[in-house]
Formats: sequence, C-alpha cells, structure tokens
Amino acid sequence: MSASDHAGFRTLRMPLSREDARSLRAGDMILVDGEIVITAGLPTVQRLVACAEDGHAPPFPLDGGSLLHLGSYSQDTTDGGLEILYMNPTTSTRFNRLMPTLIRHFGLTAVGGKGGLDAGCVEAMREVGCVYLSFLGGGAPLHSAAIEAVREVAYPDLVAHYRLVRLAVRGLGPLTVGIDAHGNSLFDTLQHQAQDRMPAILAQLAKDRAAAGN
Amino acid sequence: MPITYDAVKALSADLYDWSLRAVPADTKDGLRHAIGTESQDGARKVLRMMLTSAQKAEDEDRFVCSDAGVPVYHVTIGTAARLDGDIKAAISDGFDELVGRISPPLLKHVTNPLTNERGYKGKDMPLVTWDVAGGADWVEILCQPKALGSGRWAALETFSFPSLAEIEAYVMKVVMQAGSQHCPPVIIGVGIGGSFDVAARIASKATMRRVGSVNPEPTLAAMEERLLRAVNATGFGPMGTGGDTTALAVHVDYASGHGYTPVAVCFNCWINRRTRARLHNDGTVERFE
Repeated sequence: MSASDHAGFRTLRMPLSREDARSLRAGDMILVDGEIVITAGLPTVQRLVACAEDGHAPPFPLDGGSLLHLGSYSQDTTDGGLEILYMNPTTSTRFNRLMPTLIRHFGLTAVGGKGGLDAGCVEAMREVGCVYLSFLGGGAPLHSAAIEAVREVAYPDLVAHYRLVRLAVRGLGPLTVGIDAHGNSLFDTLQHQAQDRMPAILAQLAKDRAAAGN
Repeated sequence: MPITYDAVKALSADLYDWSLRAVPADTKDGLRHAIGTESQDGARKVLRMMLTSAQKAEDEDRFVCSDAGVPVYHVTIGTAARLDGDIKAAISDGFDELVGRISPPLLKHVTNPLTNERGYKGKDMPLVTWDVAGGADWVEILCQPKALGSGRWAALETFSFPSLAEIEAYVMKVVMQAGSQHCPPVIIGVGIGGSFDVAARIASKATMRRVGSVNPEPTLAAMEERLLRAVNATGFGPMGTGGDTTALAVHVDYASGHGYTPVAVCFNCWINRRTRARLHNDGTVERFE
C-alpha cells in the first residue's frame, strides 16, 4: 500500500516484545517491521512439533518470535541469494491441533494467517503472551511489496510454500489483531454472536418469505 | 475454419493466467458498493485494502493470491461448432504449457488425495465439466481456479420434500460452518434439487453469475435478496474479523427432481477468480471476462 494508506496505524517491531504483544487488543489494526518466520505447510508444523517434543533444535531459533501461516514462492537468485516472488496467508484453523505445543514451547509472541485459531490455541496464547495477526487473503501484491530481504529458508526438500522462511519486512499490513494475549478472540466472539443472532435471522427470513408470498 | 486443438490449448492456458492477475469488474463494483453500506470502520478498511490489492495486481501484473488453486474449467460446446482435434487433451496440455512458462511460477497445489503429495499434475486434473449448447456455433470456456476459500467450505445435504424454510435454514447452517474462514465477502452459490451431482453443479454454476445480476425468476430473486440480508446479518464481515459484509451475493438455481431434494451450498472467496471466452467457428476469440 502507499504511504498514505498506512497513515494512522501503529507500527510494531517484530519479533514482538512480550510487552508489545500484551499491549494489543483484539480488533486493533497495526503495521509491522522487522523479522518474521513463515510457512504454509502442515508437514513443516509437524516437524517443528517434533522438535519441541524431542528436544531437537529447529532449523533456526524460534524462541520469543513469530510463526505466521503465510505461503511464499522462494527461489535462488543468480548472485547466490534468495528472493520471494510472492507471499500470502493460508487458513490457520488447519493447524489448530499443533499450534498450542509450538506457542508454549517456543514462547511465541505472534502467530497469524487468516481465519483464526481455536480455543486451545487462544488459551496457550493467553498463557505465554502471544497475539494472532489476521492478514488480508488475496493480498499477495500488498504483502509481497513489504518484503525487504530473505534471511533464511529451511526444509528445502518440501514444496516452496511449505518451507520455513525467515524474512525481513517493512510496513507489512495493516494487520488485524484477531486474537489478543488476554483470551479475546474476534473469531470466537463473532461465531457466538452469529449463533445468538440466528433465531432472529431465521425469523426475519420467515417474515420475508411471507411478504414475498413464498 | 474449425475450432482447433491449438486454439483451445492456447485459450485454456490464457484464461487461467488472466484469472490469477485480476478481480472481475462486477466483483470490484460489489466491493465498492459494500464500502458505502458497511457500518464498521475496521471492515471498511479491509474492503479498501481488497480494492488496493486488486488494483496493484492489475497494475503490476502480479497474482492477487499466492494460492493459484487448481485448474477448474467449464466447457460448453455448441452443437454447430466445428471441432478439429482433441479438445479434451488441449485443455490438459494448455495447463501443462502454462506451468512451464508462467511468471512468476505457480506453487504446487495439485494434490493426490490418498497421499497428500503435491505437484503440478494429477489424476483427472484439470477438473473439467462439459456442457452442450443447442445450435450454437462456438465453444465457451470458463476458468474458475479453486482453492480453500472457493472450495473447502462447500457442503451438500439431501432432504425429503423440504419447505423453503428448511432449505434456507440449511444455507445458514453452511454459512455458520464456514464462519470467518473462506476469505469473505464471498459469492454464495445454492443449488436445489435434481440429483446429488446436479445440485452440486448448479450451485457451482450459480457462483459464476455476475455480482449485481438479478435472477430472472422472481421466486429465486426474492430468495437471493433475503438470504443475502440474512448472511450479512451474521456479522462475520470482511476477512471474518467483523462487519456487515460477509457476502457480496447469493445466487440460487434449481432443477426439478424426485422429491428427495439435495441442497448444495458453495462459496467463492472475495477475489472471485473467473474468466470466460468463446471460440467461434470463424476463428475469432470473444472474451467476456
């Protein structure tokens, strides 16, 4: 996005400090600078859980950092470096079962992607002081433009979007704090709100059918 | 001059390529309209980001979404179309050729469901449905790549002699199951009746109708209007983080059946990837979207 599109949003440094993570509230919209770690792969997250459970070190340190459910196309450059051609979020709920272990073991301060995480993850996040950042799906042109440099790519045996990638970003966002470190989840709140509204919604449909002669 | 293998191959590849780099005009209009009606500030910001992302993709020739999905085509063959060559192979070969040449490269999303291994090729890929148009002298190809937001949350249930109230309650049940997860605001397709496969097909086809178009059948038009209001009253909002805009459109179609009535509900995420063109017997290509 252009600089004017970024006006008025708080910018936070990644990896987030525990204090910054706890300062955020569900519904806040922020920009982030600094280093993030991303993957869109279930096998990747399974490998990281195995590291946590077996006590092996992951390919690079994750302690106090972020693990975001973002897929990317990374490739080697002619000068021996790495570049990312595009990057975008994937559905986080696919990782529900695995994330609490990673959030607790590595003391993550930020997770993210799109669609949110379940109650087990919300509880783990509350315990350690971690937030969920919701990215715009279909936002590849915006997210990709925020990449400054690729620091490291691990698990090259996996398909590109499954690899674990550490990269530097600037002005990534705006991102919505979907779940804060105090147990508040927009996704959970909205699901309950919709359930509560459903009797009235169905009653309105009945009224509308009657009015339409259906 | 007949419609050739080469023409079908080239157009199939192009339609897929084009679908990745733009959001259809009707869908962008729907997003703009939603900015005007959305009551929540955060939701309006997300809707504006969507339009910015769509514009940047067009201006800079980028993919809107990194998940290019898998190739899904709907092909309609006119009975007066003159064909030269194996157009079924042409569609598959077109996708293969695209994989080899497209820049930036596609991620590997074609998945073997038995092993979860991913690549560019697989059994029955591309996924193609075939239809016939009586008397037409063209072949129409519609490309609608499918990924999680445009496939994962679809559902079907079969009822016996359901009332409209039961059908509409089921649509809302599927909307609740999808919740925040399908990259809303979505386009919802509902297929009622026929048989198991026909209901699914007409639901899928209903998502291809333009956002903002009015159903010519008054009963369905009224149903679409009230279901759209109902879906947007849930409050999931853009990207499922709250707001009045969970769907841009609900499109309903039906087929007569036996009395056991399948009801299929499917979604297309907000980028609503969709391109469509016709190959005519005289060699011309007519692009619609």
